[in-house]
Amino acid sequence: MASEEESAVKEPLDLIRLSLDERIYVKLRSDRELRGKLHAYDQHLNMILGDVEEIVTTVEIDDETYEEIVRATRRTVPFLFVRGDGVILVSPPLRTA
Amino acid sequence: MSSGGEKGSTTAKTPADFLKSIRGRPVVVKLNSGVDYRDMYNTGGHCPSLQHIRILACLDGYMNIAMEQTEEYVNGQLKNKYGDAFIRGNNVLYISTSKRTLADGA
Repeated sequence: MASEEESAVKEPLDLIRLSLDERIYVKLRSDRELRGKLHAYDQHLNMILGDVEEIVTTVEIDDETYEEIVRATRRTVPFLFVRGDGVILVSPPLRTA
Repeated sequence: MSSGGEKGSTTAKTPADFLKSIRGRPVVVKLNSGVDYRDMYNTGGHCPSLQHIRILACLDGYMNIAMEQTEEYVNGQLKNKYGDAFIRGNNVLYISTSKRTLADGA
C-alpha cells in the first residue's frame, strides 16, 4: 500500500491527474484504443491527447469459411479531443520509479 | 448519531457501506461494455462483457474506480494486464469481492 505516490491517490480521478503529460492508454467503446500524451482532462474524462495512435479492431466473418478475421487498423493523429462518454478505461504508464 | 456504519465494517447495510468496506480488497468488476444492440457479426463477439479482477484502490460517487494490478478478462480469457487502471463508472455492471486472487476466467 504505502508506496510514496500511492498516498496521493484519494479518489479515482487522481490517477488521471498523476498521468498528466504522460503517455496513457485509453480504451474506448466500439473496440477503439488510443495511446497518447495526456495534455488535459476534466471530470467527464473529456481529454486532450497529443501524438495519438488509434487502433480500431474490427472483426469480419469470411463469407465462405465463416472464419473470423480480426483486423487492427492503426492511424496516428497529432492532436485529439476525446469525448468522455466513450471512455471505458484509462491506464497510466507504469509508475514503478 | 451517524446513520452509517458505526465501526461495522463488515456489517454493510447499504450499498454505500459495502463499497466503503471493500476498499483495498481484491475485487471483480464486471463491465457492461456499452451497446446493447451489438450482435455477434458486427463485433465478432468481442467483449460482450469484460471483467477486471484486482485490488480496488479507490472509488468515487460516480463509481469511477481506480484499480491496481488489473487483469482484464474477455469471455473468460485473460486479455490484458494493467499496472494501474481507471475505469469510468458508467461502464460498471457490478463490483464483487473475490476470495480467490486469480479466479481463472469467468
